[in-house]
Amino acid sequence: MTKQAPAEAQFIEPDAYPQMMSQQAAAGAMKVLRSAQTALKAQVAIEAHVPPMRAAILQYVEELEEASSDMRSVFEKVHEIRGFAETAGLVTTGRIADILCRYMDDMYRIGKPMDTMIVKLHVSAIARAARAEDDDVKMGEVVAAELAALVARRLTDAERP
Amino acid sequence: MSGAGFESLKALIVEDNAHMRSLLRALLNSIGIKEIAEAAHGQAAIDSLRERKSDLVLSDMAMKPMDGLEFTRHVRNHEHSPNPFVPIIMITGHTEKHRVEQARDAGVTEFLAKPITAHNLFARIAEIVERPRAFVRCDSYFGPDRRRRMIDDYAGPWRRKEDFQDMDVR
Repeated sequence: MTKQAPAEAQFIEPDAYPQMMSQQAAAGAMKVLRSAQTALKAQVAIEAHVPPMRAAILQYVEELEEASSDMRSVFEKVHEIRGFAETAGLVTTGRIADILCRYMDDMYRIGKPMDTMIVKLHVSAIARAARAEDDDVKMGEVVAAELAALVARRLTDAERP
Repeated sequence: MSGAGFESLKALIVEDNAHMRSLLRALLNSIGIKEIAEAAHGQAAIDSLRERKSDLVLSDMAMKPMDGLEFTRHVRNHEHSPNPFVPIIMITGHTEKHRVEQARDAGVTEFLAKPITAHNLFARIAEIVERPRAFVRCDSYFGPDRRRRMIDDYAGPWRRKEDFQDMDVR
């Protein structure tokens, strides 16, 4: 087999550069990472952050609604919402934000203009889901599924030559 | 249980969202890391690294004026970088394939998609603790070895000198 040899790369093995911790300390660290006590502490930490994160999501939603014709701003805000809506317990909000993120990313990737109607539908659905009480979650899931189907159809159309 | 290996570590959180910084700090506290610096963007993180040693960095990707990719490239490649080998976990809501590839090529150690969970964050930290990666230095890249595993029937392009050890190379 004949191939052109690539330029030489230098490999630096883990024992040849400073590690985060010694092997002895690593054994103790792994026990901590795998302990039930750590999992409980982490769960308590996350739960303590839910109320302020929910408030922040609502603030982002307001900014998202205000930015609805500025696609760059919508892109940034909706990625923020996708980033921590689920951590704040707003699963449906996160799911709809995820659909819009994917739509916008794909349209940027293929170099086609956004359909403002699609964006506005998502922004409206995100706002409603974020502000909804828990008993509206089922309706939010139905809306999310319909929006996902709509985006899939539009992306298929957009990718046709 | 004591934090053992984590109690002496210093961490740096680079994230423009104050709520996310607070959550990450709390999660690091829960494994025993107490000495944690925070920065709201890449340039502030570089300043922090110059002033204070960090053993572990958690960085967001999308930040202004300097994002997490540029920050990572600076840490890995700048001649005055205080620790080019520091583990960097990139945590981001931008999870598209090309973004992951950008992060990998900038030299991140691990990639974590938001929304974060304690389980996923701890899994990335465990990966760094248990399986530290070799670093690679070549003309176009310095950072953790981007090959995660060896594949016996690999059919893609050959790029490394070691790949040719058993071949007739000219």
